[in-house]
Amino acid sequence: MSAEATTQVAQIAKRKGLPESRLAKVFLAPSVIVMALVALFPVVYAAVMSFALYIGRTQQGVGLANYAQALTDNRFWAAVIATFVFTIASVAFEFLIGLGFALIMNQAFRGRGLTRATILIPWVIPTVIAGTMWQYMFNVTPGTMNFFLPFAPASFNWLGQPGWAMFSIVFADVWKTAPFVALLLLAGLQTIPIEVYESARVDGATAWQRLIRITLPLLKPAILVALLFRTTEALRVFDLPYVMTNGQFGTTTLSILVQEFVVQAANPGYASALSTLTFAIVLGIGVIFVSMLGRDLVLGTQEA
Amino acid sequence: MQRSAFTRRSLLRLLATTPVASACVRGSSPGQKRPNEIVWTIAGSDFPPLVQISEMWNALHPDHPVRTERLPDSADLQRIQLGLELNAQGSSFDVMSLDTIWTGEFAENEWIESLDDLRREAEQRILRGPLSSGMYQDALWAMPVTSNAGFLYYRTDLVPEPPRTWDEAAQVGMEAARRAGIAPYVGQGAAYEGLVVNYLELLWGAGGDLFGPALEQVVFNSTSAARTAVEFMRRSQQEGFYAPGFNTMMEDQAKTAFASGQTVFMRNWNAFYGFLQRPENSQIVGKFDIAPLPVFVDGEAASTTGGFNLSVSKFSTKKAIAKEFIRFASLSEDAQIHLGRNSRAPVLASAYGKLQDDPVMRLLGQVLPNAHTRPPVPYYNDLSLALQQQIFPAYTGQKPIPEALDAITAEIDRIIRRRQQISGQEQ
Amino acid sequence: MAGLTPASGAQGAVERRTTAQRIGKGLLLAVIVLWCLLPFAWLIITSLKQGDAALNNPNPLVGPFGLGNYASVFGAGFAYNLRNSMIVAGTTTIICVAVGSLAAYALVRLPLKGKVVILGAVLAVSLYPPIALVPPLYEVWRSIGLLNTYPGLYIPYTAFTLPITIFVLTTFFAAIPPDMEEAAKVDGATPLQAFWRVVVPLAAPGIFAAAILVFVYSWNEFLLASVFTPRDLAAQTVTVAIANFPGAVQFQVPLGSVTAASVVTTIPMILMALIFQRRIVSGLMAGSVKG
Repeated sequence: MSAEATTQVAQIAKRKGLPESRLAKVFLAPSVIVMALVALFPVVYAAVMSFALYIGRTQQGVGLANYAQALTDNRFWAAVIATFVFTIASVAFEFLIGLGFALIMNQAFRGRGLTRATILIPWVIPTVIAGTMWQYMFNVTPGTMNFFLPFAPASFNWLGQPGWAMFSIVFADVWKTAPFVALLLLAGLQTIPIEVYESARVDGATAWQRLIRITLPLLKPAILVALLFRTTEALRVFDLPYVMTNGQFGTTTLSILVQEFVVQAANPGYASALSTLTFAIVLGIGVIFVSMLGRDLVLGTQEA
Repeated sequence: MQRSAFTRRSLLRLLATTPVASACVRGSSPGQKRPNEIVWTIAGSDFPPLVQISEMWNALHPDHPVRTERLPDSADLQRIQLGLELNAQGSSFDVMSLDTIWTGEFAENEWIESLDDLRREAEQRILRGPLSSGMYQDALWAMPVTSNAGFLYYRTDLVPEPPRTWDEAAQVGMEAARRAGIAPYVGQGAAYEGLVVNYLELLWGAGGDLFGPALEQVVFNSTSAARTAVEFMRRSQQEGFYAPGFNTMMEDQAKTAFASGQTVFMRNWNAFYGFLQRPENSQIVGKFDIAPLPVFVDGEAASTTGGFNLSVSKFSTKKAIAKEFIRFASLSEDAQIHLGRNSRAPVLASAYGKLQDDPVMRLLGQVLPNAHTRPPVPYYNDLSLALQQQIFPAYTGQKPIPEALDAITAEIDRIIRRRQQISGQEQ
Repeated sequence: MAGLTPASGAQGAVERRTTAQRIGKGLLLAVIVLWCLLPFAWLIITSLKQGDAALNNPNPLVGPFGLGNYASVFGAGFAYNLRNSMIVAGTTTIICVAVGSLAAYALVRLPLKGKVVILGAVLAVSLYPPIALVPPLYEVWRSIGLLNTYPGLYIPYTAFTLPITIFVLTTFFAAIPPDMEEAAKVDGATPLQAFWRVVVPLAAPGIFAAAILVFVYSWNEFLLASVFTPRDLAAQTVTVAIANFPGAVQFQVPLGSVTAASVVTTIPMILMALIFQRRIVSGLMAGSVKG
């Protein structure tokens, strides 16, 4: 735009209402207020509580003993490993399958409306229900999975062995959440103009080349958002391992460990320390994603 | 000017589409709140007979009605809901149905009122087994209202006589299973409270115990009973006495396996007896029966009691009436016989006299007075977790048995020592 | 349309490739549909079984069938739960999308310092293990009387879904070239007008995607609902009701009621998916985006 037009816009903006920077704060305010009031204060509460040392129900002082105990506890590190294994496996598969779904949903063919609705079905079932359903199916009693799979021995104990227990919950999570990833990627696919594909095709690019060279790069922000939210959610997974395996056979994730101390053994200080540590881990990973994403957002995604 | 007005109107239109209903803070619901009522929380599956008891009371005391609130079946969820309310010192609940293992904990947290003024009557009329689960530090805190116990269900078409000892059970069971092409035994082997119940029944059956009589002394590993019990479980798991999938089984899965005819024996609570006799629920109608659990050669009869105890919330505003209601529910024959007629084991000894025509009730009347309770200590949760986390890997072969047993003893010692530290420091 | 057959080669080769591709695509579609639908079909079939023996039999063809489970579910007042979930999820969606789009627009278009920091803080809000949030929130809600109320749910739901809403919408808004808004501003529109009249229609697919995300989250949320609306039918939501179904005896899992209620819970969501999928993928003519 010319300098003259820019000045005009600035003058008009000033005449018509708040200066833009103040308007920005006004736009942001409602979100920030709601989030701070509801979601921030328990975090602060727990951080403060994590320094309180409890024996039984009485507070015995303050200090870092909760953290020392957590960081030297084998169960904590086992939970970290289990959480990471679950996260990497499930996010990887969800991304691949979700991308496939998104590419298909993006196309025009007969019955695509129904296909899209079908793909969304696993995701709209509440997690506790899906968890109960898969627990029921994988469980050796009554053995639904073993009943349907011809190659599975009649009493294969899916949920009762290390390794296979994790497989079962990853499987259930992928089944349930790949559509979510597909939805996010699909929304991103919509922003890619058709002309870009047209010109590439005219230039003789194959479908695979178009996927790798055009689609994926242009999709990068949506991919990062999808990976970001899936990863941070997977790191905090609770419902599925709780309902399906109760944390047994190497499936105790960090959230399950936290729940044990929030509900069962009721040590508020230690529970808060565990929650804060979990939060720190998840936050660290989230920050990495956001810094990758933030630059793109600020710069915009229009390629020259 | 025109355009901004237009925009403003559009925005207002958007906000106005927020459902008008949500401007109301809650919807309507079918229940009526009555003045002067007492709120009684009940766990879901016991609901119908217990609601009927509250209705019996309401007919007799229309000016102090009881309203029942149904809590979820899951003990964990019940614990969360009760704990949140009591921690906040809320007065929403007057009478609470508590799991038998919560007595010590709720008493120590000062969440419940002492019921000691009902104690003498309770000691005279309530079965000893269930009553001990409501006592803590030699005072009565929670009054049993209904109980249940663990039993051995067995297939009468495969095993003519129920086994008296566990070794006999293993032998007979595996033989019968081999002949019929099914599995021998199911119980509760997943790593949760049910495993502790199953293990304790073996421990008591071998003559051992967790604590000495005063609940002060830890006698767990002082006899060979603890080891006998775990070794039996380990052998059973290895040799196939325990059905495949035993290590993920809870009560419901055990019921499914037995009801579909896939096992010879099942360890489960008596509540399933009536359930399994209905053809829509089981394929073994008329082909099974129930018997006391086996023991080891030189042990005594051993069942764990479950069930519920009634307590009065410390923050209730109607404690006197709440206690009267508890007297009615637990100590009046009308209420207790009503429970017995609805397949819920009464706790009132004299009720059994009127229920002799029911074979299960007769059996319960024999077994319950001597049934063991899990130690009603305030730290029962920590204790149970310690047991779960050691017994489970021990019997599934992931951990050597002596190491696991030592770890349990060490953990119990540690818990007790820390509690002594607190009470020492509080003085 | 991406993925069409490349236009090259002899006529016969093209035809063969087209047929092969079509068969391949058909197979792929069939696999996908089965993958998504079979467990749901199991859910439906199980919900129609009567009696514990049939319910626990892995064979789907066995057992007396009937609508008894649905009758008992609605007899327990499930219609109230459906109403409550609708209201809570609907309110959450509307508030969240309205508030979130403003925030996203501010982040993308308006001058602001430290955007990355703000993005990080917004994200951080949603990262806490939810189970640990329960005790402090319960005490506050209890003391200000928000237990068993709709606001008691839709306020926290909004707070927890704002991050992803803002992120999705930010991504969307950033992909829209600023030219059209500049043009609108030259014509005399304020930023708010430019936002409402230019950006919002173009970002419609993103807004609908965000709306679906929020609605599904609210509809399916269990933990907070089980704590804030545990028992009272005036506000109890469907997921809590399902977890509360009692067995016939203690420890028995009422599989029939659970599956029937699950089917009933999922059907509105499927209808929504059917309706909105067109909107999301709606003909956004590439030309209008580029300007």
